[in-house]
Amino acid sequence: MESEIHKIHQSVQDGAVSCTDLVKQKIDMLEKSANNTANFLLKESALQRASIVDQKVKTGKKIGLLEGVPFGIKDVFLLQGEHASASSAFLKNYISPYTATAIQKLLDEGAIPIVKENCDSFGHGSSTENTAFGPARNALNEDLVPGGSSGGSAVNVAKEYTTFSIGGDTGGSIRQPAGFNKVYGLKPTYGRISRYGLMAYASSTDCVGPISKSLEDIRILLNVMSGKDLHDQTSFDAPPVPEDIFKEKLKGDKLKVGFYTSFLENPSLDAGIKKDFLSLLTRLKDHKVDVIPMEFFDTNLLVSMYYILGMAETASNLARLDGINYGERLTAESLKAGYALTRSENFTEETKRRIIGGNQVLSQGHSEEIYLKARGLRNQVSARFEQEFKLVDIILSPVTPNLPPKLGSQNDPLEMYLSDAFTVGFSLGGLPTLTAPGGTETGIQITAPKRQEEKILKFANFLKEVE
Amino acid sequence: MEKIMPLDLLSSIKGASSSAAVNELFKVIQQAIPAEDGTALLESGDDAPVSLDELRSDEIVRSTQTEKEIIRQNFPGEKNGYLVVPKVIED
Repeated sequence: MESEIHKIHQSVQDGAVSCTDLVKQKIDMLEKSANNTANFLLKESALQRASIVDQKVKTGKKIGLLEGVPFGIKDVFLLQGEHASASSAFLKNYISPYTATAIQKLLDEGAIPIVKENCDSFGHGSSTENTAFGPARNALNEDLVPGGSSGGSAVNVAKEYTTFSIGGDTGGSIRQPAGFNKVYGLKPTYGRISRYGLMAYASSTDCVGPISKSLEDIRILLNVMSGKDLHDQTSFDAPPVPEDIFKEKLKGDKLKVGFYTSFLENPSLDAGIKKDFLSLLTRLKDHKVDVIPMEFFDTNLLVSMYYILGMAETASNLARLDGINYGERLTAESLKAGYALTRSENFTEETKRRIIGGNQVLSQGHSEEIYLKARGLRNQVSARFEQEFKLVDIILSPVTPNLPPKLGSQNDPLEMYLSDAFTVGFSLGGLPTLTAPGGTETGIQITAPKRQEEKILKFANFLKEVE
Repeated sequence: MEKIMPLDLLSSIKGASSSAAVNELFKVIQQAIPAEDGTALLESGDDAPVSLDELRSDEIVRSTQTEKEIIRQNFPGEKNGYLVVPKVIED
């Protein structure tokens, strides 16, 4: 099975390349890149870690599979002693006091973080343009956006600046940029990977996940990062996805795959994406797969539900940023005026829009008719998923309604929100979902019931045959 | 006593006002018709991210010395070894 991690592991273990040279080469590529994916390079610490690996190899010791493998971290994760800016002016000089659990698990396996990656500020965006570090550029066409919010991470993987990257996905922030840059990106079941040390955007849908060029690497990374964590009460233990899952091919005549007609009826769906998706369904039928059309919620309703709940949660989560204990601080004539000045000057327009929207829905008069109603509707979404997975094994959908837009062209916030139409529903349901490259120009989204990532990976492998 | 707080005060953002884009999202929810079964609870009841039986005990976990030092470094104001707050409220 193809795997960048296995390839690098073998080269370093065999002495074909030194870990130090490998890390230097990757950092050099990041420094010279025009894609603007790096907020902070971790050169000094990465080279220190690399020299330890080289020393181990020189003395004839065996190294672990991830030992010496260079990777990227979206700049919303904490890594002790290093910057964690959330791509914001507010936290541009903030240093992480501790390390996120998911990242610590990778460090424990010997993987080497080399870059904190550009993203939309606090995860607020779908293009990596809403960032204090300047917009990142698509890996395949630098005139286009890379997607977001984990845009820098997806580009780094696509350009092979990193072997893999770790992103955060609240409503599609791993899956959409993975699709825009033609790599794999997994949003696991909510809670499978601890959120401790990931800066909170919307805590009820925030997920940590891997971005990579191969399915095998997604499997390896999922297994390393998963598990219950004392620091995140929503986390749970899950059995590892076995190594041999790709050996036995799935049989089409034993598969039931659902797709949502409401997604295909979305008026803004790109004609090419629709045609490619329908063509994929035909090929699945040719492989004897039972393809089942299903009704689902209107995509505008899903987007509204997601953004209303997300805004309410981000307004609460970002209330802690007031310039008192950390981050930038501006002073004014009174304490309250100081808070307002600090927040007004250091949040981007998009972040302010979401905080204000969140406070609106949580305020008197709005909370019942909007916030609580959206929560009730979310319960219905989850219940519908539960019913539908009694009928099908997998739900398949395009990742995005549109192709990646040109940099600077998307100025209407509502248009940006609506571009998340196909990803947000699965976030509301807490379901595991993978973007696989191919199928359509921006990839295919594969979703399974909760905790069944194994099913997704097997199906993604099967899809390669169908392509 | 009921008191309506303006958005700029609620958000601590100067000149905060509602946005047309966000208002469009509100409208969609206001007009949505929920399913007849109201809350539509899950059959499996597994939507809660954590079971009440699995909550950990509420105990203090001390920060390490390194963590404490970085937290101090991150404080926005310092003078003569003291952390400086923007305003001292005396009453």
